[in-house]
Amino acid sequence: MTVTETRPGTAGSQPAPNPGQRLISLPAKIAKSPHLARVLFPIALFAVWELSLIAVEEVWPFAVDVLPTPSEVGGFMWDEFITDTLARKNLYETFFISLRRLLSGFAIAMVLGTALGLAMGLSRATNAFCHDWTMAILAMPALAWALFNSIIFGFDDRGPILTVILAGIPFVIVNVREGVRNTPRELFDMARSFQVPQSKVIRHVLVPSLMPFMFAAARYCFSIGWKGLVIAEVFGGQDGAGWTIKFWYDAHRAHGVVGYAAFFVIFAILFERLVFEPISRRAFRWRPQLQTEVVEEAFGEHHEHYGEEETARHG
Amino acid sequence: MAEIRIKNLHKEFGVGEDKVVALEDVNLDITGHSFVSIVGPSGCGKSTLLNILTGIETPTSGTVAITSDGHVAAPGYVFQAARLLPWRTVTDNLMFVQEDRSEDTRKRCQRYLEMVQLGDKGTKFPGELSGGMQQRVGIARAFSIEPDVLFMDEPFSHLDAITARALRRELHHMWDETKKMVVFVTHDVGEAVELSNRILVFAKGGRLEDDIQIDLPFPRDPADDEVAVAKAHVLRKFEELDLLAS
Ligand SMILES: Nc1ncnc2c1ncn2[C@@H]1O[C@H](COP(=O)(O)OP(=O)(O)OP(=O)(O)O)[C@@H](O)[C@H]1O
Ligand SMILES: [Mg+2]
Repeated sequence: MTVTETRPGTAGSQPAPNPGQRLISLPAKIAKSPHLARVLFPIALFAVWELSLIAVEEVWPFAVDVLPTPSEVGGFMWDEFITDTLARKNLYETFFISLRRLLSGFAIAMVLGTALGLAMGLSRATNAFCHDWTMAILAMPALAWALFNSIIFGFDDRGPILTVILAGIPFVIVNVREGVRNTPRELFDMARSFQVPQSKVIRHVLVPSLMPFMFAAARYCFSIGWKGLVIAEVFGGQDGAGWTIKFWYDAHRAHGVVGYAAFFVIFAILFERLVFEPISRRAFRWRPQLQTEVVEEAFGEHHEHYGEEETARHG
Repeated sequence: MAEIRIKNLHKEFGVGEDKVVALEDVNLDITGHSFVSIVGPSGCGKSTLLNILTGIETPTSGTVAITSDGHVAAPGYVFQAARLLPWRTVTDNLMFVQEDRSEDTRKRCQRYLEMVQLGDKGTKFPGELSGGMQQRVGIARAFSIEPDVLFMDEPFSHLDAITARALRRELHHMWDETKKMVVFVTHDVGEAVELSNRILVFAKGGRLEDDIQIDLPFPRDPADDEVAVAKAHVLRKFEELDLLAS
């Protein structure tokens, strides 16, 4: 009697019996790959867009003057891309101005919000004092801040920056406070029993345990701040991304509005991919299951769970 | 030589209706080269006692003193759950509790990782290890500081029988060679009898009920008559306490 061993790992790596079979399986492989599905999405989008325009035109012929076609929007975006624009400032100048405001507001919101969140997490009294205010700021739509600030500050940088701060800061406060409340007590106890010096405990236990919360705070603050900034620039700006989309709106260029909106999305995605993702991957190397998850995470949505999951692991 | 002196130790948690008495009037001296096991039902204050001895909790009243040749003793603590820093590698977890980062220290850490059969896992993060492996890292961490007193809270209860037996042997060797003191909490009376020269039996409500000396030679074989008799004796104590409790 013979014993046949089947090793599960080797099945896929067996040499293909003939090249023809491989050729047949190649299209199947492509069809199943997630890349194709991704590419398919914009193609489907453009098809639906084009077809619906044709359909609308059947019913209401004048619509063509108002509704932009994909090629118009594409052409507009290309012109902007090569800085051939009717607006006062080109694409890069515009986004640079907005980015500067966004980062100023973001930095201030992070610093102030972290300080307040720490204080609220550590002291019940501070929490009781600030809690309702934080909730009130959280409940206020960015549009309201944008209007107030443009009334108060007129058309300079302060209004948009303050809007970014006010839109973003509640998320920083709430996340950092939760982080402080969820610091892993049993790890501090462990460090104490081994008589590890305080400074080392802060560096290696406190700070890393706050990291996921800080990171969630940063992502939220950035994306909410960005949305707030655009609105603030519409009302209280003389330049910047928000002002420019309004410029195209005033000029009755629908393709400009759509094209600029697409730039907003591209900007946000680029920032997520080039800044937050690499930092997160480095900072959370110790959580292997997260690496794939973060890549798929949408800009600014449901990051709050980030922290909760973390504390659940510590029990 | 290390010395533990506990006088009129009392510990309660909470106030009013939530009050829980974890330890009640414990008086106890442990000296010299002892291997002391603490056994007792769940919730009788075993972990609380270790937490007080290692400075994590403070007594409600009474005093504890742990000294080694006149100075404050350095404790090593193996917790009931591993308590590793999830964001540090296995080696860095050991280095975290060291006084210096010298090459000697690093080598010592590696030696203790090898002792728990994790010599090749130094660069892994705790999340990449199984629960039993994490527990072994916790054991290596406590050993690696070569403490005056080693406190262990059910260190082997999550491990498979074979690994547990190997580590019990290592623990006994280490205790025998270094002449250090070990205070060992366990649910397993057989384990206590196999390893210790003294067994403390705690009852619900945190009272120290019995203090049993076991003067049998090592290594102890569970099949050996005298070992079996000792085990039966401790188990009988346990049953009596259970009857008292109900
Ligand atoms: N931090 C705490 N706060 C409130 N009560 C506590 C705390 N720690 C322990 N207790 C209570 O004190 C009692 C003793 O707990 P302890 O953890 O010392 O028991 P144990 O003997 O180690 O039990 P086990 O064998 O299940 O680990 C229990 O009733 C527990 O609920
Ligand atoms: Mg316990």
